[in-house]
Amino acid sequence: MPSPLSLAYYIIHPQELRSIVQWKVWHNPVHERDESKESANLKRCFHFLALTSRSFVAVILELHPELLVPMTLFYLALRGLDTVEDDMTLPLEKKEPILRDFDNILEKDGWTFTESGPNEKDRQLLVEFNVVIEEFKNVKPAYKAIIKDITKRMGNGMADYCNNAEHNTNGVNTIADYELYCHYVAGLVGEGCTRLFVEAGLANPALLKRPELMESMGQFLQQVNILRDIKEDYDDKRRFWPKEIWSKYVTEFDDLFKPENKDKALQASSEMVLTALNRADDCLYYLAGLKEQSVFNFCAIPQSMAIATLDVCFQNYGIFQKVVKITKGDACQLMIESTQNLQLVCDIFRRYSRKIHRKNNPHDPNFLRISMACGKTEQFIESIFPSTPKPFDPKTSPKSAEEAAKKAAEANEHKWDMIYMGLAVATTLTVITLSMFFIAWLAGARFDIAWVQFKEQIGQLLGTSGPSNATITNTGAEHNEL
Amino acid sequence: MEQTNVLVTGGTGFLGSEVVKKLVELRRYSVTVIDINPPSLGTQAFSTVRYVRANILSPTELAEVFAESQPAVVVHTAGIVPDGQARYSKSGKAAVFQVNVEGTRNVIQAAKECGARGLVFTSSVTVVVDEMGKDFVNADEEWPTGRATLVYGQSKALAEDLVLAANTSDFSTCALRAAPIFGPSDVIIPTLHALIPTSSFILGEGTNLVDFVYLSNIADAHVLAVQNLLNSGTTAGQAIFITNGEPITSRDLCLSVWKEFHHVPRWSISVPVGLAWWLGLFAEVVGWISGAEGSLSRGVVLDGSSTRYFSIRKARRLLGYDPRVSMPEAVKLTCQVRI
Repeated sequence: MPSPLSLAYYIIHPQELRSIVQWKVWHNPVHERDESKESANLKRCFHFLALTSRSFVAVILELHPELLVPMTLFYLALRGLDTVEDDMTLPLEKKEPILRDFDNILEKDGWTFTESGPNEKDRQLLVEFNVVIEEFKNVKPAYKAIIKDITKRMGNGMADYCNNAEHNTNGVNTIADYELYCHYVAGLVGEGCTRLFVEAGLANPALLKRPELMESMGQFLQQVNILRDIKEDYDDKRRFWPKEIWSKYVTEFDDLFKPENKDKALQASSEMVLTALNRADDCLYYLAGLKEQSVFNFCAIPQSMAIATLDVCFQNYGIFQKVVKITKGDACQLMIESTQNLQLVCDIFRRYSRKIHRKNNPHDPNFLRISMACGKTEQFIESIFPSTPKPFDPKTSPKSAEEAAKKAAEANEHKWDMIYMGLAVATTLTVITLSMFFIAWLAGARFDIAWVQFKEQIGQLLGTSGPSNATITNTGAEHNEL
Repeated sequence: MEQTNVLVTGGTGFLGSEVVKKLVELRRYSVTVIDINPPSLGTQAFSTVRYVRANILSPTELAEVFAESQPAVVVHTAGIVPDGQARYSKSGKAAVFQVNVEGTRNVIQAAKECGARGLVFTSSVTVVVDEMGKDFVNADEEWPTGRATLVYGQSKALAEDLVLAANTSDFSTCALRAAPIFGPSDVIIPTLHALIPTSSFILGEGTNLVDFVYLSNIADAHVLAVQNLLNSGTTAGQAIFITNGEPITSRDLCLSVWKEFHHVPRWSISVPVGLAWWLGLFAEVVGWISGAEGSLSRGVVLDGSSTRYFSIRKARRLLGYDPRVSMPEAVKLTCQVRI
């Protein structure tokens, strides 16, 4: 049920309500899963997918049938890995071997794990992990190899972080460390997805030759999440903002949350926004390499959400006090626009980049850099979808002169077409009217009486409303003079 | 190591002296500078560089110096840039055309006659964009020249045509189309500084992106072009845009310059371009009556509200150009000198 507060919100923002209705009513999935053909195990997997992922379930379920199951299992494998890594109740000796061996676990018949802490929200997935393993057997070997490879590298990366005492007490140190962390938890996912798309023939293989593009796809999403979740993570005693950034503005991480440091905290958050924003053009470039609509939607929706989230978090002190989110109406609008073509997604990026630019504060130490990042995004968009054609060459190009002459001739022709058309319509109407009068006259119509009556009625009409008419004309005249 | 002879025209000027500095630093070049104003002894000059007084309007003076120094490559930076309100007027047209077009013709002639292998010409983005009131969004080298309505752009376009037409198999030429150059002791920053009293007024939407280039970056591009003409020669006969590759809104450039002088406007209001144009006209009339040149004019309004930025892909591809000094640092370095 919508709360009274949200009702009030949508009364003031009907545009957003319209977006929600439009999305709910008109959106048709590109592909729909066929539940009749699914095994019980697979149904259970989709159940877990819906349970563990709020943001990805919709886009995964609409994915091309070729990739629907591999992507679901890929997601569940990584989710399982994540659940083990996050679990603070597990001792390191227990955790590490599982993380490092998770790619083999994917093929261990009947493997389950029941020792997760009681508060782990996704613990049930591990309790019944055998269903994932069972379904994984049916996946094509090529996809299997990709999923296993990414799982192995991510598992080892996570195990390294768990081993790193420094990381556990002080969080992320340098910007390079921060990007490395994001690489393990998101950049690798970008790589895995891209390899799956290319393997399925749904994306341009050239994407694999530009690994920085798929890296940016993951980095952009993860960095925006880390920016937005600063308060939530802080409450859970985790810090992902790199020290190299926040230490420029405050001496202790906790100081970011003190009201007296409001300006400093905002400046630190601006630098976090900047770091993410510099990836925006790469993301658009990547999207240009996707061939199939459902794959495009799968990639574009999260990216659009991310840039919109970046905008609401920018220059917003709220992120240090609560979880800041984009509104549901905006989310639906973004989904409508992100499920069509690259040009509309570019429009989204330009729109939000300009919004960010408008909020940019000259007092901020990163003012110029943020301005440059916005300019870079806009220039990139112009490079793929030029907004203005290049002007004519007055010196050379007889071609364009010819074209201009041709256009003028065409315009002239159009004009005469219109005139002839108008004449034809007028003639037809006149002929029809006259013939109707003629038929009426043949049938014995008395036009002389009709004319007299008509005159009388007009007279009556003018007679009764005559004086007031006069005043109206008078005032009209006065107005004119004024 | 064998040194290559390079001759730089206008080598004591704002850009020329920076190009000379870069060439000297590489130690591979023996540099001759010609200028109408050679440096007085002991100032900024380099001990290894030969300075000769010569006027590019005098073919005989040029022939003499060129024959003597036998340059392999000539870097032609000399030219007149009308600044202030002169940029928008036609009054100095003859002098500008004389130096920028005829001077260039003379330099090409002298370079060819002395047996030089190449010529690098400092052109300007204005060859394409000096058409007032028009937007140039992400323009590249395919965009036509010859539409300029201002004197400077017209003169540079003619000169550029001469340079590129002179390209032959044994004499390679290229033109570097520089965005407005800023750097220590330039003319852009004082102009922006003078706008501080009116800093609260935003011209139009304030979303128009513009390109600039920092002095040392454009000098790097010249050195790269010299090397290119001497080696692979892929830039022969080419015009290439050179900018900092970091388009920003003109408003933001102003704000970051003002900030260096510890000024951030407390409030701001947008003035529609149409209104500003009339104010510009009014200021011009006042200036004409009082005889004092103001900072506002129709030209300034149109310059300040247009979009002018470029793709530098060609420079990256052909020259391997990569702007080394980024805008924030460049603005800081430029404004520091003045404080």
